[in-house]
Amino acid sequence: MVAQGIPEIGAYIGFLFVSTVALIIVLRLLITPRDPRPTPEKKKPFESGQIAVGPGRTRFIIQYYPYLLMFVVYDVIAMFLFAWGLNLRALGEAGSLPVLVFIIVLLIPLGYALHLANHRENW
Amino acid sequence: MLGPLQPLVDMVTSPLFLMIVLFPGLTSIAIIGALLGWLERKVTARVQLRIGPLYASPAGGILQMFADLIKLSFKELFVPENSDAFFFIMAPTTGLVIGAALVGLIPFAPGLQIANIEVGLPAFLAIITLSPSLVLLAGWSANSKFPFIGGLRALFQQTAYEIPLWLSALGVIMMAGTLNLAQIVAAQSTGWFIIPQALGAFIFLVTSVAEMERLPFDLPEAESEIMMGWQAEYPGVLFLAAQGPGFVKLYAFSALFTTIYLGGFLGPSLLPPLFWMLSKTLVVIVLIMLLRSTFPRVRLDQLLRAGWTTLLTLAIVNIGITYLLVVGLPTF
Repeated sequence: MVAQGIPEIGAYIGFLFVSTVALIIVLRLLITPRDPRPTPEKKKPFESGQIAVGPGRTRFIIQYYPYLLMFVVYDVIAMFLFAWGLNLRALGEAGSLPVLVFIIVLLIPLGYALHLANHRENW
Repeated sequence: MLGPLQPLVDMVTSPLFLMIVLFPGLTSIAIIGALLGWLERKVTARVQLRIGPLYASPAGGILQMFADLIKLSFKELFVPENSDAFFFIMAPTTGLVIGAALVGLIPFAPGLQIANIEVGLPAFLAIITLSPSLVLLAGWSANSKFPFIGGLRALFQQTAYEIPLWLSALGVIMMAGTLNLAQIVAAQSTGWFIIPQALGAFIFLVTSVAEMERLPFDLPEAESEIMMGWQAEYPGVLFLAAQGPGFVKLYAFSALFTTIYLGGFLGPSLLPPLFWMLSKTLVVIVLIMLLRSTFPRVRLDQLLRAGWTTLLTLAIVNIGITYLLVVGLPTF
């Protein structure tokens, strides 16, 4: 049986490759060297060679928070344009004016939100 | 003839199994991903007037990544203390699955496509949306400061490129009138979409480079700032699993760019469609690699501002141009 130009022997080669990789992973887990006495520093998180200070999951300043808020709103709204764009050839001019109004209504608050986002003192 | 083994042989030689295991599926993804790692080092070295990998095979170090693969897979595997071991291991391996799932949607030749679904293009973009969340999860679970910062950067970066990426793909959908990738290729038999969609193709290229977290937008793993970011804590084979999706996504995105803008597998019929598909993909891959070796890294606020102002405006302008091309001047 030949599938799109791939000869039957190809299936066996592919199967052999995948099973060889699986075998290597299993063997590797069996014969891997284990450190019998790890030093306390070994499992510490990386901090440029220093002893790690404080917890890793600290409170962190969400510095660009306004962009996240804008994203939550506009990512959903942008999807509505797909329903229109997909049927554009069938619709022709029929849906143009609502979509134009839709885009303009979208862009005015977006511009204002960007204006606010660029001012650090607002957030 | 083979008795009880016959169903097994039938399954192993069925066309879908061949495609999933061999090409364009798992085996080819692994080999091409490793070869792209070599190609990236060679291209970067050539731009920077170095030699690059040389000794790992007679043919200019082409086996370098396979040597790295063997070396990394035999390193000791351990999880840093106080980290969330489940998510720490789950995040990069799921990333590999996501990268491989992307390749399954691409039509490489007529009929040579694992999943020919009606919503191919949005499905591709929707699957890729998961990967920044995995980066955030990996960074959070490591319980270390650099990975945590890298994960948060991935989150912010997604907000910058996501909407222009979708809106630039909308231009193609308006031209083709379908979401199916095979039908988008068929719609380009009269002319490639990169000519009417030049602006959209540019936005798509820029935003997809940002999505792949490659230079000049590799903020989540910025080597010289936050020490590989979210990958900093990964040992041995897990580091391999964290690096791998980058190359698989590079391959998948270049193939998608070829499919929706460069006519996919279409080309003069003296050579097979697969040749045209792979050679166009290779050109896009080398272009993206040249971006990596020539541009410096942007800052996060620059990326956010450019994404929300310049790229978004250009994407909406592109939708307007596409409307004029498809429908003509509106009369209202």
